[in-house]
Amino acid sequence: MLKRLSAVFLLLALAVWVPVAQAQQGPIKIGAILPLTGSGASYGVWMKGGAEMAAEEINAAGGIGGRKIEVIYEDHAADASKAVNAMRRLVEVEKIPFTLTSYSAPTLAIQPIGSQNKVVMMNGGGQSDNLANKEYLYNNIPVVSNEVGVLADWLTKEKKFKAAVMIVANDEAGRNSAKSFREKFTADGGRVLAEEQVALDGNDFRAQLAKLKAAGGDLLFISSYGRNVAIVADQARELGITIPMAATSWVQIPEVLKAKGAEGLLTTRLPFNPDSPFARKFKERYKTDAGFFAVQYYSGTKIFAKAAEEAMKKAGGKLDGEGVKNAIESLKAFDTISGKLVFQPNHAAVMDIEVGVLKGGKVEVEKVVKANP
Amino acid sequence: MDLVLQLLATGLVVGSLYALCALGWGLIYGTTLHFHVAHGAVFALAAYYAFVGQKLLHLPLVVAVAGAVLAAAATGLLIDLLIYQQLEKRGAFRTSIFISSLGLLIVLENVLAIVFTPDPMRMDIGKLNTALIIGPVFLTYLHILTLCLAVVGYLLLMAFLKWSRWGQAIRAVSSNPEMARTVGVNLSKVHLLTYAVGSALAAPAGILVAMDVGAEPFRGTRFVLLASVAVIMGGIGSIPGAMLGGIFLGLLENLGIWKLPSEWQSAISFGVFLVFIVVRPRGFFGRTIHSAEI
Amino acid sequence: MAAYIAHYLVMVGIYTILAVSLNLLVGYAGIFSLAHAAVYGIGAYASALVALKLGFGFWGGLVVAAAAGACAAALVAIPSLRVAGDYYIVASFGLQVVILTVFMNWTDLTNGHAGLAGIPRPRLFGLVFDNPFKYVGLSLALAVLTYAICRRLTDSAFGRTLRAVREDEIAAQAMGKNVVLIKIVVTTISSALGALAGSLYAHYITYINPSSFTLDESIFITSLVILGGTERLAGPVVGAFILLAVPEALKFLAIPDTVAAPTRQILYGGLLILFMFVRPEGILGRGRAKSA
Repeated sequence: MLKRLSAVFLLLALAVWVPVAQAQQGPIKIGAILPLTGSGASYGVWMKGGAEMAAEEINAAGGIGGRKIEVIYEDHAADASKAVNAMRRLVEVEKIPFTLTSYSAPTLAIQPIGSQNKVVMMNGGGQSDNLANKEYLYNNIPVVSNEVGVLADWLTKEKKFKAAVMIVANDEAGRNSAKSFREKFTADGGRVLAEEQVALDGNDFRAQLAKLKAAGGDLLFISSYGRNVAIVADQARELGITIPMAATSWVQIPEVLKAKGAEGLLTTRLPFNPDSPFARKFKERYKTDAGFFAVQYYSGTKIFAKAAEEAMKKAGGKLDGEGVKNAIESLKAFDTISGKLVFQPNHAAVMDIEVGVLKGGKVEVEKVVKANP
Repeated sequence: MDLVLQLLATGLVVGSLYALCALGWGLIYGTTLHFHVAHGAVFALAAYYAFVGQKLLHLPLVVAVAGAVLAAAATGLLIDLLIYQQLEKRGAFRTSIFISSLGLLIVLENVLAIVFTPDPMRMDIGKLNTALIIGPVFLTYLHILTLCLAVVGYLLLMAFLKWSRWGQAIRAVSSNPEMARTVGVNLSKVHLLTYAVGSALAAPAGILVAMDVGAEPFRGTRFVLLASVAVIMGGIGSIPGAMLGGIFLGLLENLGIWKLPSEWQSAISFGVFLVFIVVRPRGFFGRTIHSAEI
Repeated sequence: MAAYIAHYLVMVGIYTILAVSLNLLVGYAGIFSLAHAAVYGIGAYASALVALKLGFGFWGGLVVAAAAGACAAALVAIPSLRVAGDYYIVASFGLQVVILTVFMNWTDLTNGHAGLAGIPRPRLFGLVFDNPFKYVGLSLALAVLTYAICRRLTDSAFGRTLRAVREDEIAAQAMGKNVVLIKIVVTTISSALGALAGSLYAHYITYINPSSFTLDESIFITSLVILGGTERLAGPVVGAFILLAVPEALKFLAIPDTVAAPTRQILYGGLLILFMFVRPEGILGRGRAKSA
């Protein structure tokens, strides 16, 4: 029975052997693979909102080369497998030339697919150092070692911390940032006494926190992001961990800013102006404060528009991923609402980094470290 | 040393939760021989019943919790009445009961995921969240309550089984269903009661976890799995065994990470269990196996 | 549209291998294992690792995966020598959890949660299987091969002995059958084939991480077997065709993404319950099944 069936399907398979081509009429479709649900849903709200607003503005101004832009949103929910499935669908069925992407592990997982199929990927959120130097992948956000370096310097030289313990998300981003922190902190003369791993979607970290408490130290570095940071901070204080906590900018989502345990958090910040016209428009439309990541995905979409226009000019109206990539490589610098963005040879960006203390839901900036490209 | 004491305390609290689940599951399994994985769904539902009671119906916490326990007992009873007993009437095999239970677990958990989203639903527990410091150990009042409820639950169950008429009927059915039927025990009613009592024991566990870290749709699978492990280790048919098995698992999970990295927590508990099942399948207090074949 | 069908067929091939090999255990040997996804995962990781770290191609990976599966079979077999029925189910749960924890935490080897990306597509005489259309032939060919192997096995004297052991282990032993050896052989073949499916999967999706090999996946494979029917080897094949069509069919209804996954699960779970009521022997079962 199976033999007969498989013969039939083999014939079907041959019959549908069609060449893969890209649409040159109708709207320009691009992808956006974002954390729309799960522990990182707060980022998703910003990312989707930013991209949506950018797409609307682009279309209102006539589109790109006369064609409207259409963003296809996919949810990876922090699961790289979902991102891969979404990417394959976008590339093989929707034939997109470009996609926005987010988070480190999902982006790393889809990168080979993009590179193989000549589809440009723009990451505005993931920060693992491994995201640099990858074919067809561009990061309009600095990799985490930049922020971690600035943070570690400030913590050792100005705040005089000597011995740290770390709680680390057991995924690519968490582990990479922990590795980076360990390197920089020890290079600055500090010691890392202990490290414990936690699941991104977990909600009980007391066992790990108890072990860290027993290890001592004068600083707790939280190498994690999303909702669990709020839980980590609260549970740490509950367990009687009184030492100060530190983390990089990616933790600054509403749940964490509100958390009692996060009060006094020592943290970095990437430039974001909460009073800009963009921020105000965002708040009005989505009824929630805009954040850094909203700007990132707004910029990412606009960068695509610019590069696509350039590519279409060079190719007589035709648009494909390779053309977009070449355009980005030749333009290198783009004007965004947060200033000039320059892609470095390693395909990542550099930005000014601020350091400060989280007080009453807001970061009080103490110092600004200028970017040096 | 401080760390060991803290882990010991946490282990006892977690063990209490496992024990409550194991007591309920073990009672049901020992009496009906149903591999009732849907017990995990009852565990999860109890938490949501309490959440709805407090947050949507604005009932005081105690009322919401009590209502949730009753609702969970009713849910367990209905599962037996509407699904398992109906299947048995049609001559279903034990595997079919297990499969239907699995299907039910999947359906109920996912319905919860759609209605409430997979994100944790937190409840207001007011003072219970206050931390209590006993020497080097930190616990909240909620944790103390968990320990107490496990002990109380165990004692109540033992008393019920030993001294009440219905409890004795359950024991009779548990040790020899055919004989029990011959002396006039109504098997169907005893089963329903068993499900009600067993589910009423799982409910506090689900609610306590929800009060601590929020209600989640899929948490029950893990708990029912551990409950079955606890029951096997304690010995099928033994209530003290189930209690001990649950506490033992909780301690194992937490003390196990004293020296080993904490991400290996699950592997430690289940690894030990796998070795155990090969070495002493009968469990600490169990009867020798022949009654648990498919 | 054509791409959807091609993708569906590739997955049918992969799941046919998984379900048929599981049926060897469940339907023929009476070993109700819920750890098959772990075995699937072992094959996937083995194949991916030798490809990424040692430069093996798909074909080498396939062989290594089957070998890894065969070795892992010991883990599946040992508890079955001591316990059966419900005890075995719980033991297999435990095995599944332990192996998944290893995938998640032995990060030096498996890269943990981040998974392994960039797994190469298969090549054969210069032809690269780089899109679903080309992969369909490969997937279905391996599925047919698996089915043929299992068919050979179950139709032989060994197959009859298997069934004897399932019906009454003590009697089979009394008749001189080496039950231990039989169990070891059947779990080895079942696991080697399950691992093979893992290799096929890894080189198709080009990315694997632990979340593809969880208990939920084991339960899904088991439902393919139960719904298709354990009595006949072709049962799981039918199960695969039907159950894999469900998510594809759902895509045509405009269900929001967040609700789509739980909805699919509700359908699967509902089908399981329904079948236990109306047709517990499965779609291809003949009459009432004697045992699982």
